[in-house]
Amino acid sequence: MTSDSLGGGASDFPTLLRRHGLLNEAVLFPPGVSGSTASSFTPTQATTILAFKFTGGVLVAGDRRATAGNTVVYDRADKVLEIDRHSIMAIAGVPATAWEMARVLEHSLQYFGRTQLQEMSVDGKVRALSKLLRDNFGFVVQGIGVVVPIFATYDFAGGGQARLYFYDAMGAQFEVTEYAATGSGSPAVRGVMFYQNKWGKTPLHKLREEDAVTIALRALDTAAEADTATGGVDRNARIFPLIKIISRDGIKTLPEKQIAARFKSTVA
Amino acid sequence: MIEEPYRWVEAIANRREYIETQLAPGSPIAALSYRDGILFVTVGRARQKLFEIYDRIAMGAIGHPGDIERLRMVAIELASTEGFTRSAADVSLRRLAFYSLSPVLKTAFEQVYGAPYLARMTFAEVGATPAEDLFLRVEYDGSITANGPATDAQPPRFSAVGGTTRGTELMETLLRREHDPGCTLNRAMKVALDAWSAGSMPVTEGSGNEIPSAEALRQHRTEELQSATVEACVLERSSPNAIRYRQLAGEELKELTAA
Repeated sequence: MTSDSLGGGASDFPTLLRRHGLLNEAVLFPPGVSGSTASSFTPTQATTILAFKFTGGVLVAGDRRATAGNTVVYDRADKVLEIDRHSIMAIAGVPATAWEMARVLEHSLQYFGRTQLQEMSVDGKVRALSKLLRDNFGFVVQGIGVVVPIFATYDFAGGGQARLYFYDAMGAQFEVTEYAATGSGSPAVRGVMFYQNKWGKTPLHKLREEDAVTIALRALDTAAEADTATGGVDRNARIFPLIKIISRDGIKTLPEKQIAARFKSTVA
Repeated sequence: MIEEPYRWVEAIANRREYIETQLAPGSPIAALSYRDGILFVTVGRARQKLFEIYDRIAMGAIGHPGDIERLRMVAIELASTEGFTRSAADVSLRRLAFYSLSPVLKTAFEQVYGAPYLARMTFAEVGATPAEDLFLRVEYDGSITANGPATDAQPPRFSAVGGTTRGTELMETLLRREHDPGCTLNRAMKVALDAWSAGSMPVTEGSGNEIPSAEALRQHRTEELQSATVEACVLERSSPNAIRYRQLAGEELKELTAA
């Protein structure tokens, strides 16, 4: 470690990690070359996540199930991850890759803040995640490390507003104004969201918090109905989805008791 | 390389004198434990002098801004890499200072054809109780002063850096006399500002190594604050957030520094 190592790229944490050999791009095997394990190996996957804007900011929810093929690997997976005080990355796809990505992202934002003495802009954060996804492309084409995240944050610029993005597996980001859902159960979730917006009594952006929680629980329960990879709500084991809300004041994790009560009164 | 050992010693002595002259006008920094964390205080005119290094570690530095910046980056890089590959709990100020910063500083200082680092720093790491707080003063030549040996039953819970050795010693004398690590943030701020005042008062005829009276300290501070402002940050002892560093600013700082 010398001062020479402090080049202009010092503000980028992934670059620093690569210099120390601690972060590598996913290897992309040329077609036909053996080494691709896609055919014999079934990775663990996590599904379904959703997020939408409502009166209290943006709500992000995820079921708890992780699967590998037809096997349920874990029923208490945490797919809604806090990245900083106002940002959440929710993950659908392979947890091994996604959790590492979230970890790199979290540390990148902290590193930027500490070295540059200012918080990274929302555009910068969105781009940082996009780059991580692009670096993972080698795994994506081999079908073993696909991650399709949702990124939600609060933007203090321009008077302040919640911002919501979803990504494709190659790293393209799409900003949405109302709702986003990814993962195997997402078609059902999008159906519920669309229905609520178009024919429901109250459109999503006008929902109060408790009604927003109800919609989120109903959407995940609907997704679990037809998709075995989505955990939804486990009524016997009393496993509930994870719900977090981002507002101007930061991130609030809803206590399980509150979710259980809401589930009992408006969903079950 | 200088062939004669004597020349080398002479060169080092000259270099030490040069650096001390450069650091002398630096505005002192006081870091001290209080009940709910560690408080860093200094008074400055233009640039920031107190910095976050990692979740539970902060640093204050006087010296050349370019050198401070390089050392700050080194510290953040090391802490961040360690925190990422292992965990935040594995980031240790003791290791950072003794095994990473110190050798770098010493090498730069003793290679007389290269430029030394013009910086004097104080680091602190907040623990679960004031007794577990760690303070380290790191000098431009790589030497480190810790807040008392590990065997000391009641080591001091503070660190002071002044532009001069005399300034530092005055601050330490005052802090040893006035500081109680179990005090409130309000009280800690008052003691820290007194320590700053003691460390930054110019040497006058016959002032010796006596701490000036409370009245004299306050007057000196009032004069200085006409053209400078208080900069302060805390490392919070208990918080639901992993990141304990917080800059004090706005109304909060105004209230703390009033009176």
